[in-house]
Amino acid sequence: MTKIFAQPSLPCFAMFAAALFTAACAGNGEGLDVNGQPIVPGGGGSVPLSADFESLQENIFTPICSVCHAGASAPEGLRLDADNSYNLLVGVPSTEVPSLLRVKPGDPADSYIIQKLEGHAAVGGQMPLGGPYLPASTIAFVAQWITNGAPPAAAAGVDSTPFVITSTVPDSVDPVTEPPPQIAVAFNHEIDVSQIDMRSARIERMVPGVAVPTVESIPAQVSVSNINRRVLMIWPSHPLRDGRYRALIRTAAPGFLSDTAGRTVAFGEPNSLGETVVAAFEVEVPP
Amino acid sequence: MTQPMQLPAMLRHPVTWLLPAMLLVAGLLGAGRAGAEPYLAVQTGYKCNVCHVNPTGGGLRNDFGIIYAKTLLPAQTVDGTLDAWTGKVLDMLRIGGDLRADWSRDTAPNSPSSQSFALEQFRVYADLALIPNKLGIYIDEQVAPNGSQNEEAYVRYGSTTDGFYLKGGQFYLPFGWRLQDQTAFVREATGISMSTPDKGVELGYEHQSWSAQFDVTNGASNANSGSGYQVTSQVVYTKPIWRLGLAGSFTQSDAGDRRVGGLFAGLKTGPIGWLAEADLIHDDSFPGGRTLAAGLLEGDWRLHRGHNLKITAEYYDPDRDVRENQQTRWSAVYEYTPIPFLQLRAGYRHYFGIPQNNLQNQQLTFVELHGYF
Repeated sequence: MTKIFAQPSLPCFAMFAAALFTAACAGNGEGLDVNGQPIVPGGGGSVPLSADFESLQENIFTPICSVCHAGASAPEGLRLDADNSYNLLVGVPSTEVPSLLRVKPGDPADSYIIQKLEGHAAVGGQMPLGGPYLPASTIAFVAQWITNGAPPAAAAGVDSTPFVITSTVPDSVDPVTEPPPQIAVAFNHEIDVSQIDMRSARIERMVPGVAVPTVESIPAQVSVSNINRRVLMIWPSHPLRDGRYRALIRTAAPGFLSDTAGRTVAFGEPNSLGETVVAAFEVEVPP
Repeated sequence: MTQPMQLPAMLRHPVTWLLPAMLLVAGLLGAGRAGAEPYLAVQTGYKCNVCHVNPTGGGLRNDFGIIYAKTLLPAQTVDGTLDAWTGKVLDMLRIGGDLRADWSRDTAPNSPSSQSFALEQFRVYADLALIPNKLGIYIDEQVAPNGSQNEEAYVRYGSTTDGFYLKGGQFYLPFGWRLQDQTAFVREATGISMSTPDKGVELGYEHQSWSAQFDVTNGASNANSGSGYQVTSQVVYTKPIWRLGLAGSFTQSDAGDRRVGGLFAGLKTGPIGWLAEADLIHDDSFPGGRTLAAGLLEGDWRLHRGHNLKITAEYYDPDRDVRENQQTRWSAVYEYTPIPFLQLRAGYRHYFGIPQNNLQNQQLTFVELHGYF
């Protein structure tokens, strides 16, 4: 017995490899679409690669990116599964380089996703991390979709999920080293623009005090991104400086926030002013 | 017995040739990624903290790690030239680094093949021992490609060799094998790898054969939400020819909770080190929830000093409720370490998946240059 552990041989190694090779096999894909999901009767099936979002989702984001960028372990909070990707890509500032939008419609060169796919982004490695990387011809489809204005999928179904925030930039995790000119709050549904009161937001700066911290209120205006109506932009009335901040929007009438189906946001209890905190972040400008 | 190689006088100081050579090759080739080599731990019977400053492995090498890299790992030692290098530049300060550059070719069915040179990674490490074996500050910074990016930065209090320690800051989470290949199914499916550092605290324990960690962190997907948390824990029992580990992780997230469990083991049979890992993941962020599974079996055959053949078989089931959607991946990698601090790797990976998905059936060939110190 000891000898087995002490002097394994080439046959032993080859047997292991052969046994492995026959032991576990890949699925045959019967009854599945290109992403390994069961084909729904009457469903669309496989979509050839083209410069529209449905095709990009089907051929790139779901099968390649969402292997890592999905669920509760999605890096940078960027979930690229079919339910979340458009909302978290288009018009949303990158967390690594907040001055760049992940997808800036009409401008692929200034879209962070293209820089990450091509491997010349200012921060981090080329995507997909560790490769194999997308061929230039595939990235060209993503760039063309962005050049076309990054429209959403043509056949977006009725979404019955609650109206919630999916991400904010900046976020509460990493302090930003430059005062952000705006705060982006991304929702999972399109915002009902007609309900938006542009003065329905403000920003609070926590001022540390000797005994009790005080709060400095900063007026702010809101707008809904023309690029992506799921993204609410909050614009402070003057530049922010070092400190801890939180952004509040009015979530109760008048000027309440709802999606186009009339659903109000499903989070937090509003304060006595009918406001709810939608983002918290810290600014730390290096000396 | 291998005889030490004699080098011309000009080449006897490593700085005069090793660093320029690394930079030259980096410039010619272009990229890489950091990772640990747990098969070395299995082949030697050592715990991770025997060679690494970080008790969970990877990154900066300690005194013994440098000695091992100079004397036992390479095919030929370089007599006299590297004796002075221990990683310490001051009594309190230790530095190190890894540079990986490669050429790779990717082929997928019905698609044109692509090939490129790339600088995968140039990463530098530093450890400042404020109070030896008691209080330290550790930094792992990726300086290339592109801009600088912090991977790990934490304060460590306590003993990482015997007893309890506490880490606070940003660090990699302990879960399963810290493989060199971060694209292994077990690392991608669990979402815990050396490409996904997290911020929080870690309580660790090292004593004789036991290693254990308990981490509370933000969770990768909570980067934008400002809420949620991740709890990760691992226990490993190490003996000279085998080891067994158990790991678990729970992430509370607005996207949906995620639970991960893993069992991993190592076994040494003569010159072959075996690594195995099996992980089960349940992720509620998918509609209706989804259960995933991933597995790895790796054999590392130390053919001769400085020569290692790595054969890896991997399995991935992206949805346990869906039949015939499984994927496998087979890899053969040859690793040659001719002299201290320089390694050449050549490998081939073949993915097998459902036939209607080209990318699940791609093949990857690569040649990599790895310089480290």
